[in-house]
Amino acid sequence: MEDLKLKYVYIDRQHACVDGVMLEHESQGGAMLSELYRAHIGDWPKFFKMDTLSKVGFLASDLLLKAIGREKPGEEYTSDCAVVLFGTTASLCADRNYQETIQDADNYYPSPALFVYTLPNIVTGEIAIRNRFRGETSFYVVEKADAAQMAFHLACAFDDDVTAGVLAGWVDSRHNDDFQAFFTMVTRDDAKYTDRLAAAIQTIMDNSNI
Amino acid sequence: MERIVQCIADNVVSPLGLDSASNYDSVKSGKSGLKRYDGIAMSLMDRELVESACLENGIPAARFTFFEKMVLLSCIKAVRDSGIDPSSDRVLFVLSTTKGNVSLLGNTAGFPEERVLLGVAARQISDWFGNKNSPLVVCNACISGVCAQIEAMRALMSGRYDYAVVTGADEQSPFIISGFKSFKAVSNDFCRPFDSDRRGLNLGECAATVVLKAADSVQDGWQLLNGAIRNDANHISGPSRTGEGSYLALMEVLRNCTPHHLAFVNVHGTATAYNDEMESIALFRAGLTDVPVTGLKGCYGHTMGAAGIMESILSMYAVMDHTVLATRGFAQQGTTYPVAVSPVNRTTDRRQFIKLLSGFGGCNAALLYRLNG
Amino acid sequence: MEEMILKLKQEIIEVLNLEDVKPEDIDNDAPLFGEGLGLDSIDALELIVLMEKNYGIKLQDPAKGKEIFKSVNVMADYIQKNRTK
Repeated sequence: MEDLKLKYVYIDRQHACVDGVMLEHESQGGAMLSELYRAHIGDWPKFFKMDTLSKVGFLASDLLLKAIGREKPGEEYTSDCAVVLFGTTASLCADRNYQETIQDADNYYPSPALFVYTLPNIVTGEIAIRNRFRGETSFYVVEKADAAQMAFHLACAFDDDVTAGVLAGWVDSRHNDDFQAFFTMVTRDDAKYTDRLAAAIQTIMDNSNI
Repeated sequence: MERIVQCIADNVVSPLGLDSASNYDSVKSGKSGLKRYDGIAMSLMDRELVESACLENGIPAARFTFFEKMVLLSCIKAVRDSGIDPSSDRVLFVLSTTKGNVSLLGNTAGFPEERVLLGVAARQISDWFGNKNSPLVVCNACISGVCAQIEAMRALMSGRYDYAVVTGADEQSPFIISGFKSFKAVSNDFCRPFDSDRRGLNLGECAATVVLKAADSVQDGWQLLNGAIRNDANHISGPSRTGEGSYLALMEVLRNCTPHHLAFVNVHGTATAYNDEMESIALFRAGLTDVPVTGLKGCYGHTMGAAGIMESILSMYAVMDHTVLATRGFAQQGTTYPVAVSPVNRTTDRRQFIKLLSGFGGCNAALLYRLNG
Repeated sequence: MEEMILKLKQEIIEVLNLEDVKPEDIDNDAPLFGEGLGLDSIDALELIVLMEKNYGIKLQDPAKGKEIFKSVNVMADYIQKNRTK
């Protein structure tokens, strides 16, 4: 059986890489995300309202969908593309930012705009809204990045007959300037042999230092 | 040969009791865990009761956080009742929670900082049972408990595992309470699901566990038939005005049954203006107007990560008791489309039910259980 | 009043992360919600926090925000009349 090769996007605080090609940028950390958004996307002002986890996920998913030639959504909604993400930190970065707004009794102003991002699956919702995906959206938190575990649960997503493809990814963020993500698209055929899918995901992880 | 998935043991730990049967009896007799705390209604665990139950079960007090203690208490009895060997590599542990140990952010209480990570918290539970598999944490906002059962079902169908211990739990803390208050979603009074005078939700604490088993043929008992997760693709905090995701999830599970076989739909029914309205639209669109509807938030509040599992278990007990439970807090229809909710218990002889949930991030989930034999 | 309106616009831009919007882009009489700035229900809740944090105004009923956030002019006027700090 031939090896499976998946196109992927990788982003960390210093790098953004689309299918092996580094994107140019001058800034780093959170500022880099805004710079890349302006250079490559630019038509979704809600981006600036997102927390870091969602910004990274949104950017990586948009760059990936462009790279694999998926057309921008029109008026129509689709249910055939699921969004399934993994990570270890979940919403820790947003949790810390929100905690700051309630930590001090003399400066106690809980922020609804920060609170909403204290759920890690919000990034899956942001991607679904952007792409008009009405299929499954799931966020799984794991102990560490494990290609076999990810491949197993990605294959499980195809138990839903409606699912033809899974926009799959890894996304972590501990602070606003510290994040790591990779995104790829997995088809039903890609997921047929879980070991082969795990090997393909391991290759992406090796190439992206995850 | 296609495997089927059964529920072979369960447990609910809540302010209404430390096992499923006492919880069911309390709810059936009209009790509620909701009380007033500093002017706002919530359903909170008695901390001392939890500590003494831990002592009885040999759970060392200093080793686990309060959240983990709730999870352990709910797991230990369910695992014992199931008779499985929890340390086997054929057993998968799945934890459904929205915020886990988040209260440690405000005060670590001597625990390592990493404990706030959900994977690390889940590992404490697996380790207690000597299970070496990497635990899976499902973190899909308020629908997590249904998603966790769906994912466990898939993992069992695949043949990789024979059993799954699926626990849902959340602890209430200033973090969560202040957040929901900032969303103006909280009612100070006892919540009133689907009522014309509903004014928001109450928050609640609970931990609930189901033990699922893969079987090669249909056997007597509870079978998890199907489940689906769908996104509204509309807004990250507001439910869809057309009930899109809930409607799609309902239609997916209805492929495995017909409405007149359903004892009831156990809905999310948070008692916020938007949620209950949205669910009434989704139920109408899915052709379920005549199916009895029941909601448990008036007894437990919104228990977040526990909701999908605890509400499934209470639904199973209700079906076995030929009962459609009353929707506590409901008096008068208050949604655009009429929903078959009732302020009193009703009887049923049907043996299937749907559990429906929706949550932040635009996500919605439904699952279908059937009592065989 | 004009100074107050400019300050309010800057505060709105900051708390709502309206990254590419400048104060002069916001019409004093134009509706804050609906078309234009593309604000949503979370933004409305965040404006309620802004009024409490910066001006000491506690708004208990979020539905009241609908009237207050009609435009920057209406909002500034409400703040002038009700501020406690």
